Amino acid sequence: MMRIGVDIGGTFTDFVFHEAESGRVKMWKTPTTSPDPSTGVIQGFLAALGDSPNVLQQVSQIIHGTTIGANTILERKGAVTLLITTRGFRDVLEIQRQRRPNLYDMMQDKPRSLVPRNNVKEATERISSNGEILIPISEDEILQLSALIKEQGFESVAISFLHAYANPIHEQSVRRLLSEQLEGLPISLSSEISPKYREYERTNTTVANAYILPRVQRYLRSLRADLESRGYGAALFVMQSNGGTTTAAVAEDAPVRIIESGPAAGVIAAAHMAGAAGLGDVISFDMGGTTAKVSLIERGIPASTDEFEIDRRDLVPESGLPLSIPATDLIEIGAGGGSIARVSLGTIIVGPESTGADPGPVCYGRQAQFGTVTDADLVLGYLNPDYFLGGEMGLDAEGARTVLAEKVGQPLGLTVEQAAWGVHEVVDANMALAMREATIRRGHDPRDLTIVAFGGAGPIHACHLAKELGVPRVLIPLNAGVNSALGLLIAGARFDLVQTFVTVLDELSPEQLNRIYGEMTCTAGDLLEESHGGTPTFERSADMRYSGQGYEVTVPLPDGAADETTVKEMRTNFEAVYKERYGFQNAEAPIEVVNWRLLALGETPQIRLERQVAEREGTALARTGSRPAYFPEQGGYVDCPIYDWYRLGEGNQIDGPAIVEARETSALVLPGDRAVVDTFGNLLVHLR
Amino acid sequence: MVADNDPITLTVIWNRLIAIGNEMGLTLSRTAFSDAVREAQDFGPHVYDAKGRLVAQGLCSPGHLGASLAAVRHALAAFPEETLEPGDAVIFNLPGMGTGHLLDFVVVTPAFMRDGQIVGFTASSAHQADIGGITPGSQHIPNVADLFQEGIIIPPSLLVRRGEPTEIFRMILANVRMPEVVEGDVNAQLNANQVGARGIVQLAERYGPDALSTYTEEIIRRSEEAMRASVRELPNGVYEGEDYMDDYGPGTPPIRVYVTVTIEDEDITVDFSGSSEQVPAAMNAYLSYTYAYVFYTLKCVVNPELPQNEGTCRPVHATGPAGCFFNAQHPAPSSGRAITAHRMFNAIMLAISKAVPHRAVACHSEFSNAIIGGKDPRTGRTFAFYEILSGGSGGRPTKDGVEAMFTVINAKNVPVEVYETSNPVLIERAGLVQDSAGAGKFRGGCGFRRDSRIIAPEVTFTNLSDRTKFDPYGLQGGLPGMRGATYLNPGTENEELLEPKGVYTLHEGDVISYRCAGAGGYGDPLERDIAAVARDVDREFVSIEAAARLYGVVVDPETLSVDKLGTEQMRTRMRRDQAFSAEMAPETGAAATHESVGNRAKPSTPSQGP
Repeated sequence: MMRIGVDIGGTFTDFVFHEAESGRVKMWKTPTTSPDPSTGVIQGFLAALGDSPNVLQQVSQIIHGTTIGANTILERKGAVTLLITTRGFRDVLEIQRQRRPNLYDMMQDKPRSLVPRNNVKEATERISSNGEILIPISEDEILQLSALIKEQGFESVAISFLHAYANPIHEQSVRRLLSEQLEGLPISLSSEISPKYREYERTNTTVANAYILPRVQRYLRSLRADLESRGYGAALFVMQSNGGTTTAAVAEDAPVRIIESGPAAGVIAAAHMAGAAGLGDVISFDMGGTTAKVSLIERGIPASTDEFEIDRRDLVPESGLPLSIPATDLIEIGAGGGSIARVSLGTIIVGPESTGADPGPVCYGRQAQFGTVTDADLVLGYLNPDYFLGGEMGLDAEGARTVLAEKVGQPLGLTVEQAAWGVHEVVDANMALAMREATIRRGHDPRDLTIVAFGGAGPIHACHLAKELGVPRVLIPLNAGVNSALGLLIAGARFDLVQTFVTVLDELSPEQLNRIYGEMTCTAGDLLEESHGGTPTFERSADMRYSGQGYEVTVPLPDGAADETTVKEMRTNFEAVYKERYGFQNAEAPIEVVNWRLLALGETPQIRLERQVAEREGTALARTGSRPAYFPEQGGYVDCPIYDWYRLGEGNQIDGPAIVEARETSALVLPGDRAVVDTFGNLLVHLR
Repeated sequence: MVADNDPITLTVIWNRLIAIGNEMGLTLSRTAFSDAVREAQDFGPHVYDAKGRLVAQGLCSPGHLGASLAAVRHALAAFPEETLEPGDAVIFNLPGMGTGHLLDFVVVTPAFMRDGQIVGFTASSAHQADIGGITPGSQHIPNVADLFQEGIIIPPSLLVRRGEPTEIFRMILANVRMPEVVEGDVNAQLNANQVGARGIVQLAERYGPDALSTYTEEIIRRSEEAMRASVRELPNGVYEGEDYMDDYGPGTPPIRVYVTVTIEDEDITVDFSGSSEQVPAAMNAYLSYTYAYVFYTLKCVVNPELPQNEGTCRPVHATGPAGCFFNAQHPAPSSGRAITAHRMFNAIMLAISKAVPHRAVACHSEFSNAIIGGKDPRTGRTFAFYEILSGGSGGRPTKDGVEAMFTVINAKNVPVEVYETSNPVLIERAGLVQDSAGAGKFRGGCGFRRDSRIIAPEVTFTNLSDRTKFDPYGLQGGLPGMRGATYLNPGTENEELLEPKGVYTLHEGDVISYRCAGAGGYGDPLERDIAAVARDVDREFVSIEAAARLYGVVVDPETLSVDKLGTEQMRTRMRRDQAFSAEMAPETGAAATHESVGNRAKPSTPSQGP
């Protein structure tokens, strides 16, 4: 039986076909189609597997990574959505959190909310912070709203009442009343989408869900129908932002969970490869055309975050719309192949502005105006002008030289080579700072880490970066270009549930704790089951603090039914974690619990990858020639050996300087370093 | 010039120094205890070269800049370089040396190489939860005679000696109400400084101390050059700006904020001569604090992009007669000086708008920083909560002001749900106020209203707000926004207008209604795009009545569509009236932007009513 991972990116749709019995893996790529990306998916299947009526009959599972949710928000092409808030709070989306992301820029604006003020209506009701009903809901008002929804043609509804995480009854009543009147109207409740306190973040998350729901639902349903018409009989699976899979049916109800689908899958693949190579903790480093994404993987588990932003301006923190949804923790910086280089104050600035896919770098020959990182890499000899995208696209080296000389070299009095090296060095230094933030600041010794590099530009920059950080090893996967699609096949089902229930620890009864986790485990169990997750495992934790403090630490909780000792154990665990972080504990102060967490994991698919390459004596066969490449430590351009990656064999060793070329990317091995080819064809570079 | 003419190394070192500042800031906010440091990010991380000159700064609240410029010099004056040892740190909080109030502790750490050479310094300034004084939180405003009533005063002193806390540290902790929180925050400052110092030492090891100092010299030189070049773009001249603060406590007169901004080739000087004298209330601005907001305001206009260091600051000067409100002299009380930052910004912006109108913004809303404190009946514990409320920013030369966004002071608001969970208060509404924005071709942000019902038997309410007696000005023909107010129990028979800096005892069931001012508009309202007015009406920012009265746009109340012909007629009529009144009062005609601002007590723009 065959499993297939399909990842839709901005430019390409990537496929990985895996045969369970043989372990054989096949990669495929087609251009992403617009406006309906599912057309490209079907085209890809037919091209790769053959155009027969029941071509998908033998396929046991299709797992899909999609950017449709994110694109719907970025392009503001979602449903006409009505938001219903507690009376007195219609401006929650206008107020946001009020901080300016840039202190000095008086021309900045807030991110445009998904629902304009005139599409926000208030309902009379009020619930207190401990869940008590202070003002009951008015049924008449809701019936009037229902008439308005019909009259004005709203396509989706979000309901977010104050403290609904503490008591969802009013949100549920409104849904019941509206559903009775308006059959089939999608309704998103804040108490279900993100039952945590902080009303702006919860409301925005609920609104985002409502806003993208109809479009995501249409897309997934039409894709499933297309697949079924080609003989596919199983469920369609979708990757979520937290790196876990679920079924399309589950994803349709809470599509906000699948917004960061693709990047999460790439990190999963990096984690898997690092595990297979026995590498311990790694930094996943994905450098594409416009940005670089860095993520820390500890003990095989990608770092996760509770909240991320979409639609940020220039990737500046707090400039986007917050989504309070568990996701893989990615640090994204404006450093990609297309990042623009310019001069300011006599220094070189690279990014965050990017030329994007079109026109792209100057060397793509599409009359671009600005020099980019890719142009610099070409001038330095790291890229092969005749073998870009496997030779499908010639690169204009002269154009790259001219633009870098003009925009960077002349203003600074540098030769074009020095200018190109400057751009390369500066973008690497920028990325090194981001990596430092992701790792070393969290207490990691760089000597214990490995960088796993992928994305179009990652393998060119990874070794230099590693040197900068003192990281001794770099793993570069052979199929770095379809990493995300591969990750889809490796991920298991996963749900991260969080529920706010603020209580003083001393007042917490075991019954309360059992009730909270009884409900959460039940919800998570159902979701896992609907996701075909297999035997579930659960991990509990809680966000705790000293009473009166405005911030929490996450503390592991014991599993199973709670009793008196559980509460004691929570105190001990909290004090230990707190002491580790802040160096002391306060025996006197009362402790509060704020959020309760449940991580629900399904089984991870056991995937056996076929060995990709034969053992081979020597590298002579793979050596395709040489070309001048720039290494300042060797005094400038040296004649650098070039290898064809596909002709390398397991156990081959390559001493730098060397460039190893594949269709979508080239790996750069620096002077003095040594790369070893493993059984899957991946390069493991040991730095000097 | 840089050794070897190496712009690449310069770039890498410069970026790294800024990153060191940001790493310090992250360390501080991650390990600090108090909400002020963690949530409001009321701190500053500063990086210095071996000569003690500010060379880079992490993200920080602008108020901390003034302290940072001379922090190392003050530390070295008391503890000369040769007396310092690895593991030492110096602390002080004198307002004139620091950030302008005792509440911010400044901690300075030398960066030692292994061979004992000092290759740089780091400093952090951070707002403390308490420093003693009359009230918890150490920020009592009215009727404070001097600094000695405000809390512990620390001249430059050794906080840590060779890694060991000194008796000074113990002395400080013995003088504050929340010693464990203050200890945690000061330790976080020490941590941050060490993280930064380590970064500087790594740079010195990699490039050599001499090269590092050549490059830092170059960074400061280039920044100064760039700032001077930007100042050159402004027209030389002397520009005046005047604004007022309501008062400094019930029954006190307004505080005049008068600035003369002189642009002379490459230098800008802001002179506060003509402003009020320092006052017996804890609001006075020491010159280090004044400088911070002079620089902040000018940088917003002159060149927002430049990195911040000593070089960037050199062309910018602040001055005022000793004893003036903005050059307060020891021992003037100053804990609540933050409220003055807004008015400095407003007065300077007004002056600068006369030099470069296309870069200036109209007056923003005002922030309200009241404190509610007492005993929480739900827990039996005392609580004290700082409100941080604000309406929007002023109209801009090319677009509207932003709704509900802090200007000048930059903080996150506290979510209603978090607020209600920790305090015995029920918030009954929080939102924008219709028709409160100053009209203009580009209108200001709306005013902001929040109603809080007390659900504890008794609380103390210390109001700290402003912009209730003087209009938030418009620019270039834009109208002022609506003034702010604070009401008690609005719409009931117990309704009462509260003093902007009054202190009150309130009881269960009382409702405080904060009204932050609306922001001023930019440009003539009659030039506003008709579709934009219609959208504002549709979104209920502007009423149908105000659309006609202020913008001359006639909107049908049934269909909400614009009556094009009616609008054209009305705008023509209004333009004619405008021209007529300009003719009748020629002195306010040509210089309308200047005079309309000075002419603030307009009867047509009342305070927000109950």
